[in-house]
Order: sequence, then structure tokens, then C-alpha cells
Amino acid sequence: MSNRRLLAFVDALATGRRPKRFRAQPEDAEMLRTAIALRAARPGEAAPTEPFVEGLFQRLSEQAKSPSMPEPRPARRLRVRTVLVAAAAAGLLVAGTAVVTEQLHHPAPTSAAAHVPEGSQLRTGTFQTTDGQVLGQIVAYRGHPSWVFMNVNAPQYDGTIECMLQVDNGATVAFGTFTVHGGAGQFSKALGEIDVSQLRGAKLVSSTGSAVAAATFAR
Amino acid sequence: MVSGGDVPYLHVVDDDVYGDWESVYRDNVDRLYRLMYARVGNRADAEDLTSEVFSTALRPLRLSSSKGQVRAYLLVTAQTVLASHWRRRLGQPVTAIDPDTDIAYLTEPSAVEVASDAPARATKILQALPDRYRRILELRFLEACSIKEAARSMGISVSNAKVLQHRALRMAANVDLELGP
Repeated sequence: MSNRRLLAFVDALATGRRPKRFRAQPEDAEMLRTAIALRAARPGEAAPTEPFVEGLFQRLSEQAKSPSMPEPRPARRLRVRTVLVAAAAAGLLVAGTAVVTEQLHHPAPTSAAAHVPEGSQLRTGTFQTTDGQVLGQIVAYRGHPSWVFMNVNAPQYDGTIECMLQVDNGATVAFGTFTVHGGAGQFSKALGEIDVSQLRGAKLVSSTGSAVAAATFAR
Repeated sequence: MVSGGDVPYLHVVDDDVYGDWESVYRDNVDRLYRLMYARVGNRADAEDLTSEVFSTALRPLRLSSSKGQVRAYLLVTAQTVLASHWRRRLGQPVTAIDPDTDIAYLTEPSAVEVASDAPARATKILQALPDRYRRILELRFLEACSIKEAARSMGISVSNAKVLQHRALRMAANVDLELGP
């Protein structure tokens, strides 16, 4: 019964307990978002406690001392880490870099997982429409393996988009297809044999074959 | 389309770096926790998610990266950690971290100032509600009353308080949506 579980979730929020999981409906999510906003407005509870800050510091210190140790688990629960984490880490690398380049205009070498990028290993570009509207970013990372990550925010577009990579010799390579839902989509894929340094740019093409946007990689 | 030559998107504008990972931690733990708390609304989950962000991000951090890069990386890690949390907990993306807007949590001098719009937003939501709806939500979420205490305070049964809270929350959610992000 969703209402009963929803009520239990709200009750836990209101009383500061950890809410239990259940399969929520979209309309539940809207109510819970508001409940969280109201709860977060309660004075004096938004700051971390000293025991938490120091306890986490100790756990991280132990992790740092033992390079071969697995990552420490959060205090209250075990996390299930799957192969996806490794893929996500690679995604984080480039996503993080996109944030850096687009939001902060800071230099390149943000790192993640075992693949630590150097400045020269990262190349970035911004997807723009023919009228100059920014639709997203693309980041190419040279490593083992080399990756390309892109995100697209194309309002009112739903459907597939094909990414074509342009290389320095003028050739265009079909790199992959991804789906945009509700105007948003992202795509990451290993580059394979393509040399990151040879990339010139990228084009996004809709399912009907029309050009959506293009990006030029910065040198 | 992009025309002309290449655009240099990578600029060295901030060579301020952290000396060690403890500095990374000390400078960001409070800010990250506040961000997570604002997104999950309870201390236990906020602590777990903050821990997960640091556990995931600290080991591979390159300390030669600028503070801005490190914060951006932490924020993107937090975005993924929070998304996974909601996928596991409810199967719905209840709240999210937007790197475009939430970077202020990590870059402003005080995360308290960034988070300080939460009371103002809550006030706007509550003020848009009928008196009884507003009161039940104030009692529950701002004054930390149990459902029994709220019912007693309002002179209604516990069952009525539950129904009232549900309807009030639904209306508040509509107001929240109208207010926008």
C-alpha cells in the first residue's frame, strides 16, 4: 500500500529518522520533495556534528594509510558496488571535467578512479546549434581506455541522437547513438582505435538526419 | 554550429591548490554535508552520502588540481551518489544535485548562506496554504511534533491528522512546483 509507506516515509522525515525504502510513484516523489524542503528548513539541523566529521576523518585516514584496502563503507550501511561503479567513475572523470571547464574555467586535470587525466589528456568542446545556442558539452579523455563523454540538453526533444566524430584528416566516424528523454541525455563510450589527439570535432544528428549541433575540440 | 577555429575552454585562472587530502576534507565536509542534508532531509542519510562522496572521491584525487577543480569533482561525485541513493531508496529521483547551480554550495565562503534560502522557500510554501494545512505541516516539519502531538495540538484525531497532513503535503507540493527551482 503506497499511501501507508508514503506516510511512514514522511513520518520518518518529520521526526528525523532514516526513511525506509519503497517503490514510490512520481506523484509521491513530488510530495516527498516538498517534505524534504520543509524539513531542511528546520533551524539548527543542517550542520554536521563534530563526532561525524571527526569519525569520517578517522575512517578516511585509515583508508589513506592502506592503499590496498577497499574503500571504507558508510557507517550505517553496506553499499553494493558493482562494475557500474567503475564505469561511473570514468564518467565522473569527464563529467567533472565538463563542470570544471564550463562552470569554473579551471584547468583540466581533475581525476577519478584509476584513470587520472593530465591536462594534455583532456580535450573539450561545447555543442552549439547553428544559431549559437549551447546544447551541451563533450569531453575526450586519452587513457587506457580512452573515453568520450557528452551531455545534451535539448529542450522539447525526445528521441535518438547519433554522434559523429570528426578527425583531423577530414573523415567522419559514426561514434554511437544515444537517447534523449525530456530534452536531456548523456552518452559515454570508449574511443577504441581513435586517437584523442586526432579529434577535430563532433556533430549530433537527429533520427531524421538533420543536424542538431556541433562542437569543435579545443587544442 | 561552431564556426571558425578552436575555442580554448581550458584556462588556468586559479592556481590555489590544497596541500593535502585532509585540507580537501576539512574545507569541504561541512559544505557537502549541508548540500546532502538539503537534498535528503535527514541526518542519517546525509552522513552516509557525505561519507560515500569522500570515500569515492578522495583516494584518486590529484592534489595538484586547483581547489575549483577538486570542488567540481566532489560535486559531480555527489550528484551521482545522490542519484544512486534515490534509485535504491524509492526508485524515483526525488531530489537532485545540479552542478550548474549547486556549485555555490562548495564555492561560496559559507555554505550556510547558500542553504539559507531553505527557510524562505518553506515560508513561501506554507504561506500559500490554508490555515489548517499550514499548521499541520508546521507542527510536523518545523516543530518536530509526532503525528499524535500534532493531532493533540490541533484538537483532532490521529486519523484526521494523517489525512490532513497528506492533503496539506499534496497542496504544498503543487505550490512548490509553481515556485519553480
